[in-house]
Amino acid sequence: MLSITVDINNAWLSAFLALVVIVLLMTLTALVLIYVERKFSARIQMRLGPMRVGPHGTLQTIADAIKLLAKEDLRPRSADRWVFELAPFAIFVPAFLAFVAIPFTRDWAVSFLDLGLFYVIAVTGLSFVGFLMAGWGSDNKYALLGGMRAAAQLISYEVPLVLALLAVSMVAGSLSLSDIVVFQGRVPLFVWQPLALYIFIVAALSELERQPFDIPTAESEVVGGPFIEYSGIRWSMFMLTSYANLFIYSLLGALVFLGGWDWPLGREIGLGWQLVLIFAKTSFLILVFMWFRFTFPRLRIDQLMSYCWKVLIPLAFLQIFLNGLVLVYEWPDGILLLTSGAGLLLAGYIVYRAVRAEPRRVRLVPARGSGTVAVPPQTAGAEVGGAGTGGSG
Amino acid sequence: MIGILKGMYVTLSTMLRKPVTIQYPSTHREVAERDRAFPILLWDSEVVEPFCTGCHACERACPVECMTVTMKDNPLHAEGKSKRRKIVDQFWIDYGRCMRCNICVEVCNFEAIAMNNTWAGHELSKYNRDSLVLDLDQLLAQHKQGKIKAWVAE
Amino acid sequence: MVQEQELETLDINVNMGPQHPSTHGVFRMVLTIDGERVMDVEPHVGYMHRGAEKLSESMDYRQALGYQDRTEYLAQFLAEHAYCLAVEKLLGLEVPERAEYIRVILCELNRITSHFMFLGAFGVDVGIFGTVFTYAFREREYIQDIFEEVTGERLMYGYFRPGGVVWDLPDNFVQRVQEVLPHTRQGVKDIDLLLTDNEILAARSRGVGAMNAEDAIDWGLTGPLLRACGVPWDLRKDRPYSIYDRFEFDIPVGQYGDVYDRYLVRLEEIRQSIRIVEQALEQLPEGPILPEKLPRRLRAPEAEVYAAVEAARGEYGIYIVSKGGDKPYRLKIRSPSFSNLSALPQMTIGSYVADVVAILGSIDIVLCDVDR
Repeated sequence: MLSITVDINNAWLSAFLALVVIVLLMTLTALVLIYVERKFSARIQMRLGPMRVGPHGTLQTIADAIKLLAKEDLRPRSADRWVFELAPFAIFVPAFLAFVAIPFTRDWAVSFLDLGLFYVIAVTGLSFVGFLMAGWGSDNKYALLGGMRAAAQLISYEVPLVLALLAVSMVAGSLSLSDIVVFQGRVPLFVWQPLALYIFIVAALSELERQPFDIPTAESEVVGGPFIEYSGIRWSMFMLTSYANLFIYSLLGALVFLGGWDWPLGREIGLGWQLVLIFAKTSFLILVFMWFRFTFPRLRIDQLMSYCWKVLIPLAFLQIFLNGLVLVYEWPDGILLLTSGAGLLLAGYIVYRAVRAEPRRVRLVPARGSGTVAVPPQTAGAEVGGAGTGGSG
Repeated sequence: MIGILKGMYVTLSTMLRKPVTIQYPSTHREVAERDRAFPILLWDSEVVEPFCTGCHACERACPVECMTVTMKDNPLHAEGKSKRRKIVDQFWIDYGRCMRCNICVEVCNFEAIAMNNTWAGHELSKYNRDSLVLDLDQLLAQHKQGKIKAWVAE
Repeated sequence: MVQEQELETLDINVNMGPQHPSTHGVFRMVLTIDGERVMDVEPHVGYMHRGAEKLSESMDYRQALGYQDRTEYLAQFLAEHAYCLAVEKLLGLEVPERAEYIRVILCELNRITSHFMFLGAFGVDVGIFGTVFTYAFREREYIQDIFEEVTGERLMYGYFRPGGVVWDLPDNFVQRVQEVLPHTRQGVKDIDLLLTDNEILAARSRGVGAMNAEDAIDWGLTGPLLRACGVPWDLRKDRPYSIYDRFEFDIPVGQYGDVYDRYLVRLEEIRQSIRIVEQALEQLPEGPILPEKLPRRLRAPEAEVYAAVEAARGEYGIYIVSKGGDKPYRLKIRSPSFSNLSALPQMTIGSYVADVVAILGSIDIVLCDVDR
């Protein structure tokens, strides 16, 4: 971001300025996104949402932030002190680091890395350590459950996420984010790689721990999971990071799959338009993620894991394999679309088969005053593999 | 997949409907005519005295024993202005105990007590429980000022 | 050589409740879990015990009515109905025709609100962040408005009386209900579209907490839980009380007795209740709402009676022992929530932690009803 505007020779000063900019950006993103999410959910649920602070409640998140900062920072007496207190930072730092390498426009980035994509994936993958620390350090059983769930989920879904992005970078022939955007040109990559986009979205939702994959923090089961004992500023850091991550993954998706700051009608566009385009694409992905959040029930941890290992990872490998074939034999681009599209259909079919959601309806009994109980034959049982009834108490 | 898409359609379509919530303390929804908040006493403005004669009927009928009533000779009856020989002397209702069952209104022979059907009967937050024990003046105040159109059960 | 010790794993006890967002009140269960598997469940009830039965012994037959609302606070009219039926049986009161119709209409509307409450809470339990909840509550509010116009209260109606109902309906009642029923249909349709075919919900709820019919009967399950197991048992049909034998409606019956079937059964019951309400509105006669000669103080003969209604959660029964006088000697509430909850260990053991929440949600307990 700074590399173009001011020519600063002092490396330390430059680094400090970059740091300030990133922190401001993260805070601002979180503040805006929380407001947008609350309003968006209010619309879906036919509510008004925050309306009091500022016009249409626009200052509500700032008021909330001030309240959080003013709250007492509690620590359970039996908590593991250092682990507990450092956990928010362990989650915050990866998100912070990821911002460093993400280009916002053609010329705006804190740092253009040749391995930008690789770097972003690598550092965001570290955040599970923070969840585990929070879960363990809180000395709370819900937190422990949540932390373990988070660790399992985040590590598992890292794999398909990486593989999907790898497939894309194979096509683009680069691991640099700006190169990938430049490569896409007129036709963004999601056209050629719908399967990879699908895998990316599912894995990103899971990495973000948003519905339907908010299992580690599931409100109705483990009551906030790893965050259960946190309050005040430490809790607000978790919140801030989760929204910053939402922004990062959406931005990543916009850059890699939706063509970043380019659009189909022309290459030479000004800085202003570039910002508008990248903003629009990122917002679109963010809104889609929010839309999912308020529409889907939550999966169970075993279903989540089996979906990752049995469906997403094989499909991601399939995508890479197909891409490899196309690239090696120099088949036309259309094959990419065909194979990937076929893979997407396969994914849909597998999901469909896996949950076997053939419609089940109730039977209507119009019997009147029969007075006798007709006991049907033994019908209960596990239709879906997994949870049966188990033995009696 | 189809079920998921259906669900996404529903949430999208409800986004286009009008919100159903209101901003409560600044806008109040209308309460029904029969609304039952806490009981209040009614004021006979023709004779300038409460309708209540302090007959203890409501006190006895109250399931939670939230009422205390005392009776006295009516000075206005002695002057010939009122037909009520006895009149209420003191009346306390503990709103903290009242369960708003409407039984006191039903048993009252003089239609002297009614359930408050205005918002004033609902927004009664107090800092301590003692303030929820209302005396005769407080119970009569609302009807005295004509701020209530009491709906007394037939 | 040192014997290498095998790494030992321990089950942990997790205390769920009394303060937990998905225990629907102040229910507490101690889960023994091995990882995510539930090995044992120990339910603790009684946090909400307020002695409604004992209190009723010191109250006359009219005063005790208010406590029925407070026991079953999501299906209040149904609880009042059970109590009034018991007292009427005890006293031999004849209920006027119009009062019977008013009672049926309000009871069925109340069943709808109660089931909406279930649907909303169930949505939260399986993890939809508030959406189903607000959809269900939106429609519930329209019906609550009618209740407020009729009774003056939004929650603790206290509207039925032994012998009838306390006031007549407001003049525009029929029209108001007919205005609201399309909203209710729309709400059912919304939730139906949003949840019924959803694959994630299917994965979460099919085969979870399943019970077969014999077990369900043995545990004394009633209401939607029993019907979800495939037993078409509905007191409105099988032991017709009040005037339920005059209406056409069907009993929705499930097949597998799992969480999903319970959801389906309740969704369908809302539709059937709408049918009953519509028929009752058409037939609603004019006339008195209380018996002609109703004494001010109800004095009962020495007798024992039991009356039950098909409440939203199952058989809600009132058992009164009278030794004469105006107060019951003993009043026992047969609450469906308590009986249904007793089968919780059988449904949950062996399932996952997340399933426990869904199963508890599907039982649809009212904690005051459990603890009384």
